[in-house]
Amino acid sequence: MSSNQTSPTAPAIFRFFGVDNSADKRGALYVFVLLAALLITPIIVGDDFVYHVFITICLFAGLSTAWNIVGGYAGQLSLGHAMYYGIGAYTGMILVNAGITPWIGMFVGAAVSAVAAALIAYPCFRLKGPFYALASIAFLEVFHVLAIEMKWLTGGATGKMVPLQIGWEWMIFTERLPSLVIAFGMLCFVLAVAQVIRHRRMGFYLIATRERESAAKAAGIPTIKVRIYAAALSGALVSMLGTFHAMYLTFIEPDSAFDLIFSIQIVLFALVGGIGTVFGPLLGAILLVPITEISRGLLGASALGLHGFVYGVILMLVVVFMPDGVVSLLPKRARKALDPEQFDDTSGQPIGDTDLGQQQLDPIQTKARPPLGDEVLKVDDLVKNFGGLKVTQHVNISLRQGEVLGIIGPNGAGKTTLFNMLSGFLEADSGSVVVMGPDGKPHTPKGVADFVSLGVGRTFQIVQPFAAMTVEENIMVGAFYHHPDVDSARRVAGEIATELGLGRFLHEEAKNLPIGGLKRLEVARVMAMRPRILLLDEVMAGINPSDLVEAIRLIKAIRDTGVTIIAIEHVMRAIMDLSDRVIVINSGAVIAEGDPESVVRDEAVIEAYLGKEAGNAEA
Amino acid sequence: MAGGSKPPPLNQRSNWHGVLLAMDLIFTNLVNGLMLGALYAIVSVGLTLVFGIIKVINFAHGEFLMVAMFLVFFATAYFGVHPYVTLVVVLPLIFGLGMLVQRVLIEPLQDSDEHIMIFATVGLSIAMINLMLMLFGPDIYSTPSSGLRTVVDMGPAMFLTGQLNILIAAIALVGGIHLFLTRTQLGRAIRATGQNRAAAQLMGINVSWVYMVTFGIGVSCVGLAAVLIAPLYPTSPEVGQYFVLLSFVVVVMGGLGSISGALLAAMIIGIVDAFAGFYLGANVKDLVVFGIFLLVLIFRPQGLFGGARNMSHVS
Repeated sequence: MSSNQTSPTAPAIFRFFGVDNSADKRGALYVFVLLAALLITPIIVGDDFVYHVFITICLFAGLSTAWNIVGGYAGQLSLGHAMYYGIGAYTGMILVNAGITPWIGMFVGAAVSAVAAALIAYPCFRLKGPFYALASIAFLEVFHVLAIEMKWLTGGATGKMVPLQIGWEWMIFTERLPSLVIAFGMLCFVLAVAQVIRHRRMGFYLIATRERESAAKAAGIPTIKVRIYAAALSGALVSMLGTFHAMYLTFIEPDSAFDLIFSIQIVLFALVGGIGTVFGPLLGAILLVPITEISRGLLGASALGLHGFVYGVILMLVVVFMPDGVVSLLPKRARKALDPEQFDDTSGQPIGDTDLGQQQLDPIQTKARPPLGDEVLKVDDLVKNFGGLKVTQHVNISLRQGEVLGIIGPNGAGKTTLFNMLSGFLEADSGSVVVMGPDGKPHTPKGVADFVSLGVGRTFQIVQPFAAMTVEENIMVGAFYHHPDVDSARRVAGEIATELGLGRFLHEEAKNLPIGGLKRLEVARVMAMRPRILLLDEVMAGINPSDLVEAIRLIKAIRDTGVTIIAIEHVMRAIMDLSDRVIVINSGAVIAEGDPESVVRDEAVIEAYLGKEAGNAEA
Repeated sequence: MAGGSKPPPLNQRSNWHGVLLAMDLIFTNLVNGLMLGALYAIVSVGLTLVFGIIKVINFAHGEFLMVAMFLVFFATAYFGVHPYVTLVVVLPLIFGLGMLVQRVLIEPLQDSDEHIMIFATVGLSIAMINLMLMLFGPDIYSTPSSGLRTVVDMGPAMFLTGQLNILIAAIALVGGIHLFLTRTQLGRAIRATGQNRAAAQLMGINVSWVYMVTFGIGVSCVGLAAVLIAPLYPTSPEVGQYFVLLSFVVVVMGGLGSISGALLAAMIIGIVDAFAGFYLGANVKDLVVFGIFLLVLIFRPQGLFGGARNMSHVS
């Protein structure tokens, strides 16, 4: 079951597991050697205790890898994953007592766990960091009590034996080798799932949601759905390993099946290896499990508390000195050596060449501007109050396709609040936003996902990069909206990055970009979604004069492809140059509207900005 | 029907007696609940203070209680003094330990990801429990009760003198911390730091020192709790686990960081605990308490008494 999943024989399989270039191939080789050693070492040594240690490594590596899908990729720190392990163990045991093989029980348990995980994930999606951790502990305790109380099903606090039927059918053996083969197979399966998830759209979506939830929503990610999906998958995988372990131990009790310390142990291996990386948890388990199992084996009961103490100390040392885990030590060297190859291999795209970016930009520039189309956006009498503060007062906007509308106004005038209502992040108290859909019919979208599906894209005034992702990956998150396939998303991201002069930074992590680069990345990400209406929130603030000329040219090029643009901007040169029409907002109300030249001469506008009369200067 | 004398079996008595008995039980459970609540309050106040100021959820909070209880046990055993006297030793030791942990473990991680901070205190918790397990084994150590288990009989309600002391101490502690935070220069510095670290630093407050003092005070609350609890509850390496889970419930319910909220929530949880424990049994009681906890977390993560958080600023 396992070997054909981890031994890639054809390029197609390489690609299926996200292995695209020779650096990845070398990584895959390392992992393959490591896994082979896990299977072969105990067979060569032939000692029962060595078998036991390696079975335990496989078990914990599998549990930890499965936890990592929720805890690492999605960033939700579950300290309650023992509950899925317990559900799997109990379901397997109960079904075996009813004469059903654990091979079936495993999947029944997985289904129960998936449902439980989804039911738990749904109400908890809003909880962050420590709150999520606390909720997961509470759920674990609930299951613990249920296992004790439902005596008729579980055997109560004293626990229950698994009937000792020997053979493959019952997953119980007199020798250790078959157990090792099963544990190893399951580990390979979990690793394969984790690897595939990480390198597909789902993995990008999970990490994007973890890094910046609102930016993820704006990129069209169904953030709640992907988290529930991850939780269910992770719970199901943990549960399957739980069923196996129950058969291996042949005895379960509530205190060990629903144990908080067990949960923490699962997390510990991922943390030590490297949270959020595919193979970190495996490394963590390989490094740590032998220490504790050997100390337990040698010292027996006299070592009570020793392995717990060691775990606790390791946990503290790792977070202080090596918060990114062992993995962070490895690939740094490897990556440095393999960097040039990585560049050459990226689907033949000549990236990293900004001159070429200019050339690509120019043809778009020379294209004639299409005439304005029909009305695509209508804002009718929009009102929003925060308590007593009137942030939006009876705002009306009408916009035609291909038009550029500039919004200006003093700080605190309510411009960003208006944007939040035009992109679904805020609901208006009254009034409506009507968007003409691609089908030519008017829609009144509710919520971010609705707006995104109608082709409304936005950037954020305070840039929201997915910091842990590269520039390419950031743009891919947007590109996935129309290109679910990783390869074409990557291609689109490369094209857009080049167009926006980000080609040089394609493989740079977003957190290393200067502010000008981050602003461009915001635009690139939203452009990858091919929006019909583009909301730009101060994308030119803080960029240098030469970049400004570039940026204005770029936005014109976007406009000329027929995209309708609303831009909040303080940079007057950009507003004057770009806008077909300008509206001025002060204290939540539109105080002037018209073509750029006439608006800047408007008395009310000058008052709002410069405060000729003190009474009018509040903003 | 007043305590002590055994009431006749239920079926031989009139409805009137039944009602009286029911009311007695309710009253007894209420008093019990308040006493329990006071205990939870003392343990929780320190946790909520540390969260409010340092923004750290200290998963090892219960372990400070456990260590302090061991200190009380050994101090009474070796010096033969009244458990309350050990406060003079326990308090400075726990305060110092707290400051050390803040300086060595928490401060270096102050600006790292949330999960790092969670793991740091979880690691500390596991290390402390297991260190004590290695040193003293899983056995139970009973601090001499020194007269604190004397029953006070007030009509239908009966409680121990030690419990009454806890109630008094809880009220005094919450009042004292409130006065300290609002009336003293150090207290104001602590609050300022909690509200805006950078601004406090600009005003010349030594933030690192303030954090150390705050953490010290936070765990000193469980030092006080340990002195009060040890004569009534047996000490073991895992005793902290039980109390800390309940104090998480209390702290979240009261609104993380709110001291008066924690007191109120502790009383509610104490009363729920007493009634559910009496009518439903110890295990189902936990189910009720954690059920409430989850409902609060999911529907009012800002706590029962706090205002809604401002969610208006998306970008």
